[in-house]
Amino acid sequence: MASKFGLAGGIPERKVRPIWDAIDSRQFKNAFKQITTLLSKHPNSPYALALKALILERMGKPEEALSVCLNAKELLYANDSLLMDDLTLSTLQIVFQRLDHLDLATSCYEHACGKFSNNLELMMGLFNCYVREYSFVKQQQTAIKMYKLVGEERFLLWAVCSIQLQVFCGNGGEKLLLLAEGLLKKHVASHSLHEPEALMVYISILEQQAKYGDALEILSGKLGSLLMIEVDKLRIQGRLLARAGDYAAAANIFQKILKSSPDDWQCFLHYLGCLLEDDSIWCDEAVNDPVHPPKFINCKISHLTDELFDSRISDALAFIQKLQADNINNSIRCPYLAIIEIERRKHLQEKGNDDNLIDAIVQYFDRFGHLSCFTSDVEMFSEVLIPDKKTELLGKLMKNSGALSTTPTKSLGQSITLFKIQQILMGHMSKMSENELEVSSVQMAEMYCKSLPLSKGLDLQESMHGEELLSMTCNVLVQLFWRTKNFGYLAEAIMVLEFGLAIRRHVSQYKILLLHLYSHFGALPVAYEWYKSLDVKNILMETVYHHILPYVMVSPLWVELNSLLKDYIKFMDDHFRESADLTFLAYRHRNYSKVIEFVQFKERLQHSSQYLVARVETPILLLKQKTDNIEEEEGVLESLKCGVDFLELSNEIGSKSLTFNEDLQTRPWWTPTLDKNYLLGPFEGISYCPRESSTKDRETNFRRVIEKKSLLPRMIYLSIQCASASIKEHLKVNGSVPGKISSEMKLLLERYAQLLGYPLSEAIEVVVGSPSGERSSSVVDYNLVDWLNFTVFLNAWSLSSHEFAQPDGNGWKTRTSSSLDSLLEKYIVEKVRSMEPQLCTPWNDVQLLIQLVSEPLAWHGLVIQSLLRSSLPSGKKKKKSGSVDQSSSHLAQTLADSVQRLSFIVEEVMKWLREWKSRTEDEHLEVILAPLCSNVQSDGPGKVFHILETFVSSVNDTELGNHISESVKSWSPSDVARKMVTGKNKVLMEFLRICESKAKLLRSMKQRIAQL
Amino acid sequence: MTTIRRFYCNDLLRFASVNLDHLTETFNMSFYMTYLARWPDYFDVAEGPGNRIMGYIMGKVEGQGESWHGHVTAVTVAPEYRRMQLAKKLMNLLEEISDTIDKAYFVDLFVRASNTPAIKMYEKLGYVIYRRVLRYYSGEEDGLDMRKALSRDVEKKSIIPLKRPITPDELEYD
Repeated sequence: MASKFGLAGGIPERKVRPIWDAIDSRQFKNAFKQITTLLSKHPNSPYALALKALILERMGKPEEALSVCLNAKELLYANDSLLMDDLTLSTLQIVFQRLDHLDLATSCYEHACGKFSNNLELMMGLFNCYVREYSFVKQQQTAIKMYKLVGEERFLLWAVCSIQLQVFCGNGGEKLLLLAEGLLKKHVASHSLHEPEALMVYISILEQQAKYGDALEILSGKLGSLLMIEVDKLRIQGRLLARAGDYAAAANIFQKILKSSPDDWQCFLHYLGCLLEDDSIWCDEAVNDPVHPPKFINCKISHLTDELFDSRISDALAFIQKLQADNINNSIRCPYLAIIEIERRKHLQEKGNDDNLIDAIVQYFDRFGHLSCFTSDVEMFSEVLIPDKKTELLGKLMKNSGALSTTPTKSLGQSITLFKIQQILMGHMSKMSENELEVSSVQMAEMYCKSLPLSKGLDLQESMHGEELLSMTCNVLVQLFWRTKNFGYLAEAIMVLEFGLAIRRHVSQYKILLLHLYSHFGALPVAYEWYKSLDVKNILMETVYHHILPYVMVSPLWVELNSLLKDYIKFMDDHFRESADLTFLAYRHRNYSKVIEFVQFKERLQHSSQYLVARVETPILLLKQKTDNIEEEEGVLESLKCGVDFLELSNEIGSKSLTFNEDLQTRPWWTPTLDKNYLLGPFEGISYCPRESSTKDRETNFRRVIEKKSLLPRMIYLSIQCASASIKEHLKVNGSVPGKISSEMKLLLERYAQLLGYPLSEAIEVVVGSPSGERSSSVVDYNLVDWLNFTVFLNAWSLSSHEFAQPDGNGWKTRTSSSLDSLLEKYIVEKVRSMEPQLCTPWNDVQLLIQLVSEPLAWHGLVIQSLLRSSLPSGKKKKKSGSVDQSSSHLAQTLADSVQRLSFIVEEVMKWLREWKSRTEDEHLEVILAPLCSNVQSDGPGKVFHILETFVSSVNDTELGNHISESVKSWSPSDVARKMVTGKNKVLMEFLRICESKAKLLRSMKQRIAQL
Repeated sequence: MTTIRRFYCNDLLRFASVNLDHLTETFNMSFYMTYLARWPDYFDVAEGPGNRIMGYIMGKVEGQGESWHGHVTAVTVAPEYRRMQLAKKLMNLLEEISDTIDKAYFVDLFVRASNTPAIKMYEKLGYVIYRRVLRYYSGEEDGLDMRKALSRDVEKKSIIPLKRPITPDELEYD
């Protein structure tokens, strides 16, 4: 800000400088004093006013700031003789932008440019305004004006980028690219080009129109020398040749790159693609999601004749073998992996030979089997082999492993690789017996302990040798739990990972596995602590939040949820606010390709599915927190415009394009996506490693869930309204039922039912039962919270709807009310009674309970509060007749029944929670530790745990070094168990607090009903 | 097995496995985007088979006269790809661009004084400790300013170590 000096809107600079200094050092009061003095001398200076507005905005007075800004703007417009400099305008712009009035800033610049049509500085300011508003067409027009004015290359490129943006991010047709090409062509003819980025844009414009030949001509001409990094130029050349179909020339180019960069894997794939005349790699790049690129290219079956195919393959082999020979002393992997890829291609062409492929992998293993990335390197190739051949491969690798190892670290690396291959590539774990799995987990844990001395000399910051062994042990133990449902294995897995973290606190892989395990166990606060230690911030929130957010969303940890949502939304909104300024920075620094990239990236984040979730969950959390006080709830609803905005959001979701930016690679095997958790069952049919990559199913499901959720604020609002309207009708206060509310509610119920997969009438039958009283409970079970929410809203609607009433006055209306009560009772009370208040109860039941109490039961409580509030005599209302008295007493009775039943439900839950609370810590600890300490000879968990305990008790200080041995000794299983109990306890006590608040509300309602 | 290419915005959504490392800072968006907007040639990513992000380097070029230099702001490698000399490859690339394209005099970087493995690695790559910056990291830990002379600095004047430590406010550049 301090640089903004110069001609200060007609005011001497020395008078303005101290004000800017005060603003920069955040002394706003001081700045305000000074500007008031300045304004007394220059009352009509738009610049001084703009400064005042800036100070006011910083002082947190947006309304005053806006009014001062508008005043300055008026003065600028009214007085033609006034100086209209960029300093005044840019200061106004800053304030308008901060006040979310970009349009006003733009109109100031538009006005100024109209007045001084040849002022380049003002035009740049205006261009910047359009960048901020994402007005691509106006950007283009302004850039062209600047270009015409001064003829500079950069302004032409600004115009060209604006055109590209219209095509990629706006609704401009592709033919606009022809216009961009024409502009560039003309400029090149008269002035040539001087910036490498300008050339890149020119080439990209041609490439986007599939004019590969033209692009190649330009690249190989004089302009090509602009690209100073030779390999960059070659890459473009190779790509253009391949896309133009000149595969032979392209292959030569890629061969050239490989000679100088023999480890460039991507380049090798391009080279091979060209030899086999297969352009899939480029098509894949264009078609696939750049954030989740496929692991390997889907190659086409080659159209080449057999002879030609064979000869090309042998050319490739010969070249790669030469590369190997030339780089014999380098430890580069590409030429060796290349052999495997060549074998895979032969395989795809049905010319493969399994033995060759296996041999190639074995040879790769001989060289690189000790590397941590070996498994991911070869992962894609083993897919080609049938299960028997995979087993053969494993056998050969095992046979080779012992003979090769030269150093202990290498030997350890190879052994780890073999375990990984069994687990990941072979999907072996699902085929192993429980006994074999136990043996394998024991072997890995032993190996970890034995290999610890290798890390003796390492710095604390460095990752240790063999770290992966513990995460793999954990994977096996969880598999054992999945098979046996014995919670001891999960506790054991937790102990193993905590053991690893006691030794080295920085292993993020352990932390992620742990946070999922703790969440599954119900010890969410412990999971949250480990999550926090991952230091997830800024853009990582977009990709890593999925590990924790879904768990916290269904928990009673509302403070933590609020903080997660708030941090994330702030990050995203800040980015949306500043992104355009950074785009302009790219324009100014002539890095045009980044301009397009930045705008596309901002769009990607704007369409983020997680952002949508956060925006919808935030108001729902607010609503959940206030349900026990209807006035406060109404305050929240008012701030949410009675849910209207979310209704609109819900309407848009169907047609909205969504992006899924989560990095799912780091998720544990048992929960490969957010909506899947194999540990909850079904416990058969799924093998160890089905990594679902398809987002299609997830997307459909996601849309339905979020669409439904965003209806909630409005439906809650309408429910409260329906309830109070029904009483007013009873008491004939207003004479008529507000039909609008009722009909809107009906529409929303129809939508809600539809999202549950039923027409309204059928959905009603599902919850109320058919006239014969049968209810389809299996349907409700599946989506319990949603169905009960539906029933609550249905009940509220039935209160005020004539449509719903039956002539006998005893139809659906009464049935809905009693169905709702009995559904709540059935699902909550039955669930509570079926759960033992023990530590290892499946946590998803508790999670469901928490949701049922904090959502449908709470919404229903609001409806009752609304009914009660409207039916209590307020003094002004007179009771009119005996029939009203009668209906009032009937109402009082109905309300009393409902409150009674809700109280019963809440008390039952509280009873369960108190029973849990009454147990001693030792009892809980016993539940966790006992299965681990059982006889190691017997079946069941505890074997790995025993190894760790034995290791700790016999730890050798000299062998491990001080640091490691101290850390090993610091591992305390009982502390870990205590942490789990405390964590779980915190969640349950939070839940108890919610229940107690509800119980209190219900008691007060009982008293008020008695007054009716 | 490394393809080194320019870093794109979308890579920010793919680098979690690298950035979850406790020594790798995840900066705010404007920080990354300023580097991308101003010095795109100094922000590179290494990709391995299966399109996996192996590591990346971000840097810039700045300074006046004989202080015109390349600067390494961050270099990091995912755990899976460590001990394979990837950081060296990334550093060499940045040095080459500073040397041949931007004709800088030297390349410099800051490292925590306690980060012995990193200091050792930079020394192996030819960097020397030019000076100590007192309490450079959040006012707590000292930083070491390490430099490597490029071909334009024929007499290697830029890397003659300073005798005394300096304070962060004496630094010429951020």
